[in-house]
Amino acid sequence: MKSALIQAAPSPKSHLGRGGRLWRQMAKRYDLYLMLLVPIVWYLIFHYGPLYGLQIAFKNFNPAKGIVGSSWVGFDHFERFFDSYYFGRLLWNTLSINLFSLLIAFPIPIILSLISNEIGSKKFSKSLQNITFIPHFISVVVIVGILNVFLSPTTGPINTLIEAFGGTPIRFLEEAGWFKTIFIGSNIWQNMGWQSIIYIAALSGINPQLYEAAKMDGASRLRRIWHISVPGIVPVIVIMLILDIGHFMDIGFEKILLMQNNLNLESSDVISTFVYTTGILKGEYSYTAAIGLFNSVINLILLLLVNRFARKTSETSLW
Amino acid sequence: MFKQASISRTSDDRVFDAIVYAVAAVIIVVVLYPLIFVVSASFSDPAKVLNGEVWLLPKNVSLDAYANILHNGKIWTGYGNTIIYTVVGTVVNMILTILAAYPLSRPDLPGRKVLMVIITLTMFFGGGLIPTYLLVKNLGMLNTMWSLIVPGAISTYNLIVMRTYFQSSIPWELQEAAHIDGCSNWRLLLNIILPLSKPILAVMVLFYAVGHWNSFFNALIYIRDEGKYPLQLVLREILMISQTDAVDGNVGLENKVLLAESIKYAVIIISSLPILIMYPFVQRHFVKGVMIGSIKG
Amino acid sequence: MFKHWGRYAISTMLVSTMVLSGCSSNSGTGKEGTSAAKSESVVNESGFPLTNEPIKLSMFTRIAPLNGPFKDMPVFQDYEKMSNVQVKFTEAPTDGFQEKKNLLFASNELPDAFYRSAITPLEATQFGSVGQLIPLEELIDKYAPNLKKLMDEYPEIRSAITTPEGHIYAIPGIVTLAAARTDKKWINQAWLKKLNLKEPETTDDLYQVLVAFRDQDPNGNGKKDEIPMTARTVLSVVNMMSGSFGLDQQLGYNINLENDKVKIWMGSEQNKELLMYLNKLYKEKLLDPELFSQKEAQYLAKQGSGNAGFFFDQTNNSFLTIADQYEGIAPPAGPNGDRLQAQASPVPRDFGAFAITSVNKYPEITMRWIDYFYSDEGSTLLRFGREGEHYEIKDGIPVYKEDFLKTDNQPKITPYAGGGAPHLISEKVASYINPPQVQEAQKKLDPYMPKVRYASPMFDEKTAQEVNILRNDIDKYYEEQSTKFIAGALSFDKWGEFQDTLKKMNLDKLEQLYQEAYDKMKK
Repeated sequence: MKSALIQAAPSPKSHLGRGGRLWRQMAKRYDLYLMLLVPIVWYLIFHYGPLYGLQIAFKNFNPAKGIVGSSWVGFDHFERFFDSYYFGRLLWNTLSINLFSLLIAFPIPIILSLISNEIGSKKFSKSLQNITFIPHFISVVVIVGILNVFLSPTTGPINTLIEAFGGTPIRFLEEAGWFKTIFIGSNIWQNMGWQSIIYIAALSGINPQLYEAAKMDGASRLRRIWHISVPGIVPVIVIMLILDIGHFMDIGFEKILLMQNNLNLESSDVISTFVYTTGILKGEYSYTAAIGLFNSVINLILLLLVNRFARKTSETSLW
Repeated sequence: MFKQASISRTSDDRVFDAIVYAVAAVIIVVVLYPLIFVVSASFSDPAKVLNGEVWLLPKNVSLDAYANILHNGKIWTGYGNTIIYTVVGTVVNMILTILAAYPLSRPDLPGRKVLMVIITLTMFFGGGLIPTYLLVKNLGMLNTMWSLIVPGAISTYNLIVMRTYFQSSIPWELQEAAHIDGCSNWRLLLNIILPLSKPILAVMVLFYAVGHWNSFFNALIYIRDEGKYPLQLVLREILMISQTDAVDGNVGLENKVLLAESIKYAVIIISSLPILIMYPFVQRHFVKGVMIGSIKG
Repeated sequence: MFKHWGRYAISTMLVSTMVLSGCSSNSGTGKEGTSAAKSESVVNESGFPLTNEPIKLSMFTRIAPLNGPFKDMPVFQDYEKMSNVQVKFTEAPTDGFQEKKNLLFASNELPDAFYRSAITPLEATQFGSVGQLIPLEELIDKYAPNLKKLMDEYPEIRSAITTPEGHIYAIPGIVTLAAARTDKKWINQAWLKKLNLKEPETTDDLYQVLVAFRDQDPNGNGKKDEIPMTARTVLSVVNMMSGSFGLDQQLGYNINLENDKVKIWMGSEQNKELLMYLNKLYKEKLLDPELFSQKEAQYLAKQGSGNAGFFFDQTNNSFLTIADQYEGIAPPAGPNGDRLQAQASPVPRDFGAFAITSVNKYPEITMRWIDYFYSDEGSTLLRFGREGEHYEIKDGIPVYKEDFLKTDNQPKITPYAGGGAPHLISEKVASYINPPQVQEAQKKLDPYMPKVRYASPMFDEKTAQEVNILRNDIDKYYEEQSTKFIAGALSFDKWGEFQDTLKKMNLDKLEQLYQEAYDKMKK
């Protein structure tokens, strides 16, 4: 089984010839290029156009002179960032939140899909899926709003429960120690159902005869899961993993920003929110452009490494 | 799904089943409880909620919170704006995404790979906020709905999913046959491909619509008039912003605060409702849409 | 239809190439920092209208949640007729204002003027030196008689807004009324009486009083639901109490001035004592735990609920209905006998309230336009609206009409509600914010006010950059750590580490920069 999230399916075999034939091929399909015209132009304008702005990372951005006219300063902004008191903490928080997400939040949808697959009653299995999808459609603003009321030290049900058992209320949202747990936990709550769809789909593509045969051989349910279900979805898992890592450095910016306060900053201060508060609110555009660029570069390196590793070990890759 | 054979179950199986069902039940409870709590709280007497007396079912059922929302002009303006942005935005998204996805799904299109690389790369790099802002400004879109729609007109992820769907679920032979019948590519797309792709179209509409409905950051940057604010920004103000401007004079704020506290829950419900209502209609397409779009077995 | 798309695409492409290639030239056209002499319409040197030919100005402003649209405010409607100047306001809500203001400068998409814009001294220097804001000193001399008079009367205004190069890039909101520059210390005297307690004179007294508020059920409902002490935010408590620990707030920062020596006190022993005191209050549930997350509105609601024992605010507006429950007290004396009202704004209270940009074609008229609000007459129009409709004259000063106040529309008709508007706040226009009760409370503070209150100094551009870089790190660190010290999330064992980090962040350098700026100012 070959996964094709990005890698295209049927290869364009001998459709193209050389030279003149290529031109003829293209001319004959001019209307396809016509369709592509607006989207491609859009990509060039809105994705490639702004790339020139990256240069402000190496300049002192002077709004009156514009991006192009500002003066060059080389790597000053990068050095300032590396020397900054916050550098270590920002990097650690960004990496650790993502790492913990990967370790904890990534496997859960897989487990959910396996559970859903093992449920005999179709109706129950469908309900499980449909119910777990719901939170995905709620906005981050509302999610954080729900967290606020739900974990409120005075009126929230969690703390009411804690008090009922004689404990003292915990100010969940104002303790650095709780931040990552709550952030990742609520992400799992919101997205596990949604992310499990893709695995459920892959599972449904596995030939039922494989299970029958294994059953005949006397394999237990667990063994059947381990030896048939899991291998069946490994390629999908690998692709999802690569995609996740492709966005390793920039998960959940809006949500973190909404959850941040001085008391949990110790563990909630991440690169993307730092870029926002320092860049937009305090107007240090060049400095934060440098930080943003640093972030993107790390991201790309990670992506390339993982992709390469995946290609070597499981013969699945993005391209 | 997994097909249950008619062979009688062993006791091992039964234990295993019990565990599976139990875990599934726990998951359902965990997912549903916060939702039920919010719904119950929205229908309860605000005083009971503030005292922490509501934990599962509504106490002293009251519709006051909803009645109050009816009188909140800001929420309704935001609601109206969001509906417009969502509808127009989704239409633009769908048109552009289809126009890009279909040609790129054609194995006989020269240059397709290069274009795909150009597009895929954009998932990982961006020019940053200032250049993008300058662009939006120079295109004259600041403070208009287009600033919320055009810069995000295509989601590359969605484009890839849709392209894969076209490629893998519509037989290439069918398209070739149509060509032989003298069908142009435009007609092929409109009359054959799109009608055959309803599941993926439905799913994409949902993806894009949810995205528009829930977004707030672009509006924070690009929209100036409060009258054009989308619902999520109004919500943000109600749910979590702490105003720290020095207030020289203000009267009657106390009542407003209590009001805000009491409508919190109802606001959450009201704002999430349209998307949740839309969901069941699209839900049945999920299996076909997302699955075939994302993976090819 | 498809042809149409094609056309659209091509035109978009054209536009975007223009955008990309034209970016530098397009945004480089900002005029140089000369007070633009290219006025296209003739300004009348005195009297109204300001110009015979009607003109239009665009201004960017902040709209507070309480305000109505500016175009509906009587002040701007009437003033337009008087002045022949039509102002089109772009109103950005308080939430998101800072982002939008910065982006306007960053993209060089300037309005004619910034109104109620809270431009910081750093921003003024920055945007002024690149020519986005024009220097105003000459315009003030020629076209702003009211403002000039105030600046002559209160020399601290000029020193607070003039850069070392001698330019003024932004005009502040000016507050000559002392009571509008301090937050009063309001205590629930009804509770004091009921529990037979005296006004607290020292921080220890205050502690005892708060404990009594907490334990002895002063509101008599049998529940322990009293809030002994609350404040707007955590950092505001620090500001309100710092004077009792000998910590002043000079030069708009955490600075003590001793014999002309600038001392930044963030890492000092006194500050440790202050934070330990606040930590004790917090630990014993005397200090409102919601301090860390509450919204402005919630805080004001607590004032109005009558269930708070001790809090801080400039006026009694938020608890008018139960005003006689409260009275203002003097700052309590600290453990070392310090007794200072450290929190007090300078006369030029709201820096950067108004600024004129380089795209403005009528800087003279604009200056005359804003100057009116620095007269009592103009300020009355701004704050009170129309005589007869919104206010009446009582004892020679304007007072809101009773039936108008009842409509709850007061903050809707004036841009001063929500703070930061460019105008003069004097005793003549203060009937609403300075009723006798507030005057009494101010009198309690007066003996403990510092002799001179220096506003933030103006740095030259390079130094301003430097200060900005230093302060971005230091302030963020200080705010976070002091919050944690108070909440007990950080033990005071770590105080040494805290001091070391401040040192590492170059606090000494920052102190030196402030010292230099202060020395220049004194000259």
